[in-house]
Amino acid sequence: MECSFALVGKDYVLVAADTTAARSIVKMKVDEDKIKTLSPHLLMAYSGEPGDTVQFAEYIERNIRLYHIRNFHPLRPQSAAAWVRRSLAQSLRSRSPYTVNLLLGGYDVASDAPHLYWIDYLGTQAAVPFASHGYGSYFALSLLDRYHNPDGTLEEGLATLRRVIDETAKRLVVAPGNYKVKVVDKNGVREVAL
Amino acid sequence: MAVAAAAQTGFDFSSASRNAYLAERGVKLPNATSTGTTIVGCLFQDGIVLGADTRATAGPIVADKNCEKIHYVTESIRCCGAGTAADTEFVTALISSNMELHALSTGRKPRVVTAMTMLKQHLFRYQGHVGAALVLGGVDSTGAHLFTIHPHGSTDKLPYVTMGSGSLAAMAVFESKWQPNLSRQAAIDLVAEAIAAGIFNDLGSGSNIDVCVIAPEKTDMLRNYIMPNERVQKEKTYGFRRGTTAWTAEKIRSLIINEEVTQVGNEAMDTS
Amino acid sequence: MSIMEYNGGSVIAMVGKDCVAIASDLRLGNQALTVATNFEKIFPVTDRIYIGLPGLATDVTTLRERFRYRVNMYTIKESRTIEPSTFAHLVSSTLYERRFGPYFIEPIIAGLERNPATGELSPYIAGADLIGCLNFAKDFVVAGTASDKLFGVAEGLWEPGLEPEDLFETISQTLLNAVDRDAYSGWGAIVHVITKDKVISRTLKGRMD
Repeated sequence: MECSFALVGKDYVLVAADTTAARSIVKMKVDEDKIKTLSPHLLMAYSGEPGDTVQFAEYIERNIRLYHIRNFHPLRPQSAAAWVRRSLAQSLRSRSPYTVNLLLGGYDVASDAPHLYWIDYLGTQAAVPFASHGYGSYFALSLLDRYHNPDGTLEEGLATLRRVIDETAKRLVVAPGNYKVKVVDKNGVREVAL
Repeated sequence: MAVAAAAQTGFDFSSASRNAYLAERGVKLPNATSTGTTIVGCLFQDGIVLGADTRATAGPIVADKNCEKIHYVTESIRCCGAGTAADTEFVTALISSNMELHALSTGRKPRVVTAMTMLKQHLFRYQGHVGAALVLGGVDSTGAHLFTIHPHGSTDKLPYVTMGSGSLAAMAVFESKWQPNLSRQAAIDLVAEAIAAGIFNDLGSGSNIDVCVIAPEKTDMLRNYIMPNERVQKEKTYGFRRGTTAWTAEKIRSLIINEEVTQVGNEAMDTS
Repeated sequence: MSIMEYNGGSVIAMVGKDCVAIASDLRLGNQALTVATNFEKIFPVTDRIYIGLPGLATDVTTLRERFRYRVNMYTIKESRTIEPSTFAHLVSSTLYERRFGPYFIEPIIAGLERNPATGELSPYIAGADLIGCLNFAKDFVVAGTASDKLFGVAEGLWEPGLEPEDLFETISQTLLNAVDRDAYSGWGAIVHVITKDKVISRTLKGRMD
């Protein structure tokens, strides 16, 4: 089953998402990237109804890009999160709503601060120090509550993330096998090995 | 050619599909505040006396202990509301507004039947989904009139009426004591007694008695005419010693604007 | 499962002597799972009006944005700040507009109303149900998943004529003790006391279970 995790450190946001694409009980793919880079300093991990997820993520990605092109600067994380949330809230009031859950991690270059937003398919938005979607959250949130250090270094953040992923692998019956981990900081977005 | 969009008025149904979708996912939709109520009205020699209790409920909880259920329609027409509280509030406000416009365009004092017809047509259009059960009373050029209006839009014209969950208790009082050509005070007393019957025998009704007397020359709104359930003074104070509550952060936003005038240079202004 | 209990959360407002207080818990949940413990449900509308929006969290944000828009429009069109009683009717009609597809929010309004003749400020609180039926109380209003408990505790603890600091204690203790008996509310709280010359906002220490 799908799992995504994210946490904020001293000057970065770590985002991790599993890489399985499943259909019914069958694993169709084991190297799917479910974290989109929306702008130079913004990451979005998405999960939910297959089909809806990619469709919605691409819609968001293109529109954030369009804003960047038109205005010569990207949306700041706070504004991007508000717009993404609104898109979901409006979709919820349509005939066929998108069932997509998101973790939005960004680094605000203007104020030199990392931001993380937890957004669900209803359009619920919360700015949080750590977040998770999927069944993994039942293990992740309690571990993060205990071990998360908001002023931690990237190494410390990765160690905490490893704890979370290991625990999920150990205890969750339907744990996913592989994860892709990305980090966003003042230098932009990059993939990191666990 | 661009066509200006028609002004959006009336209800907005855009969340209805979302809520149906949520309901489909097993979500139970909540209930609005309703007035489990006793409302009454009766004719007397000069006009109409309306009465209501003042309890608003949300399920088993008393949401408001002193709400107003006798709504203004025009100066000499008033309306008691039972059922979904928001619906009684808004439907009477809407018709009150339209009655004022009607009076202005015709240049006549509006009639009770006009209000009654507007209310029943509105309620009928919404097929009972606007859950207002009303007692409408007033005096106009054709005399004193008293109506009940049900949520689906049916109406009755009677000399004495009751509605709401306490209607049975109140009607028992009317049936045993009402008679034609009551005096003003006798009618007020009877209405108050009928409401009291509702307050004390129906769990959905409670608190105080509101009365409204509509006579040809003037209307008297007797808000909290009788308060039979006043809370007595507490025998002890339950104040906490300052500093009882532990807090972790404090932010004070000052609303006083301080203005400081700094003199630049000390030469006198040239006023020549 | 009720939709009003999906995210959890509670709000209360109380009247004091020349002041009002409004307080809420800080939990955001997904049913039994706590997602955030810093989710504020009370927002400033003007300097002297605050609104609490307990209920479905997506609608908390949506309504906050709508009210901000509508209050800004009012301020521009009327060239004056909105008064609490006017704002209460704005809230009421915004909710009733969606009578047949409501926002799942039961708002609580607290503020100081300026008397246009004398310029005096008097306490004003109001509550509304999810379709905008207003409740003008003279003592306190409550809403949210702990509303039943808040009613009970407030009924016992509230008394008339409380000074700002005493009102802070009374509303804090009422909220804290009520949410301790509610599984869906708690995890810290925030209290705003609005007086004629300042607004005091304090974050409370609460049980984290």
